[in-house]
Amino acid sequence: MERGPNPEDGRGRGELVLVFSTNTRILLAEELLDSLDLPFVLIPVPKEVNPNCGLAMSLQEEDAELVMPVLEKADLRPKDVYRRRGGAFTVQPPEGGF
Amino acid sequence: MIYLDNGATSFPKPPGVSEAVARALANPASPGRSGHKPALEASRIVFRARKKLAGILGKADPERMVFTPNITWALNAAIKGIPLEKGAEVISTALEHNSTARPLRELEKAGAIVWKKIHPRENGLIEAADLLPLLSPRTKLLVLNHASNVTGALTPVEKMRRLCPDVPLILDAAQTAGAYPLEDFARHADVVCLTGHKGLLGPTGTGGLWIRPGVDVRPLAVGGSGSNSESLEHPDFLPDALEAGTLNTHGLAGLAAALDYLEERGIENIRRHELDLAGVLLGEAEGISGLRILGPSGNLENRVATVSVTLEGYSSSDLSSALESGYGIMTRAGLHCAPLAHEASGTFPGGATRFSFGPFNTPEDALAAAAALRELSGKRRAV
Repeated sequence: MERGPNPEDGRGRGELVLVFSTNTRILLAEELLDSLDLPFVLIPVPKEVNPNCGLAMSLQEEDAELVMPVLEKADLRPKDVYRRRGGAFTVQPPEGGF
Repeated sequence: MIYLDNGATSFPKPPGVSEAVARALANPASPGRSGHKPALEASRIVFRARKKLAGILGKADPERMVFTPNITWALNAAIKGIPLEKGAEVISTALEHNSTARPLRELEKAGAIVWKKIHPRENGLIEAADLLPLLSPRTKLLVLNHASNVTGALTPVEKMRRLCPDVPLILDAAQTAGAYPLEDFARHADVVCLTGHKGLLGPTGTGGLWIRPGVDVRPLAVGGSGSNSESLEHPDFLPDALEAGTLNTHGLAGLAAALDYLEERGIENIRRHELDLAGVLLGEAEGISGLRILGPSGNLENRVATVSVTLEGYSSSDLSSALESGYGIMTRAGLHCAPLAHEASGTFPGGATRFSFGPFNTPEDALAAAAALRELSGKRRAV
């Protein structure tokens, strides 16, 4: 299920950008989340956070509580997670806190 | 045409393979290199092939399934990529294809390794017990073909593995992948090398290696990977570590379609079908004057459906030509890129004529091959 990037929803909650170590891992994550009808969208990796050529996963912050445990359980934890507000990206803590 | 050269490359390809290749060619993007929709679609094509190939090996982790242009590259990557101390002893069979033999010879010539070979017995089979006298504390690598591309003899990989469980084992599955249930042998190997265009029924230009967790394989080539682009160091994580450069997306699309077919038909069913055909040829060929069949006879369970022969009065190439011109039967003559196997079989340097069956051959094809050999044998006597 796709829901487009949402830089900010007006309630102070924004978008999370998940960067994975390999293209294969992000496609494994895509397949898993699709099978569970969980909301996300694949986007080009924002160059502000990562110089790689591939893909990143965009989630609305409100969906992270559903999505992140699923990825954890499948051993598909992203390499880095960023919160995007406006044009600014902030690194999210490695453990929980979403 | 009766095509009996499936050991070189399978023909025809299953329904859906050429269509999948054409569809992927119409998608103009590079996998893993951009974030736009055509690139994402290309990435999904590669991902699907990777997942299916790992799955068919009985492996759940597609990240450890690395794609290469062919099995020669895969074997070179594994043989040269597993770090070995100078003077390490490496053991192979004496039936290896040049894809294994040449990299081992290169390392031997450079003084990097000591190469030991297990010779087949009189019956053409490799016996696991013959590994024992070659093993020593300096044995650091085993490289085994799962089946000979000349004689069709299966190597007793499971038994050999039991004799040296701690020595890394590279398995050359060129002649068995797709023609023999893969999970059965993949569990005994640390690295499984594959080609996509023989028994796996995909296009040429596809191959790969699966690497067991904990096994370190250094890259043969480094360069563009689409990952860690900020660094001048090539990434050290799989599959990127061993996949420098753009992959053969359309070839892999065709391979995935071929794997769909294999799943649907069942590899064990294909194995039985092909062995039945080899059994027909071997049975019918018995008693043909001047005909010698290389490798194991009798029990079909010791072999794959590859049958090489010599016929008195014919060179291997003359016999192959006569089969094509007189009977429309396509075979392969010569040394089959495996001079060691021919030396072991007593057919070096002239080689032999090889019949190799595939999933689309019929009993009539095998009967036609036997009838042609019988007739050619008669003509020889008449000369």
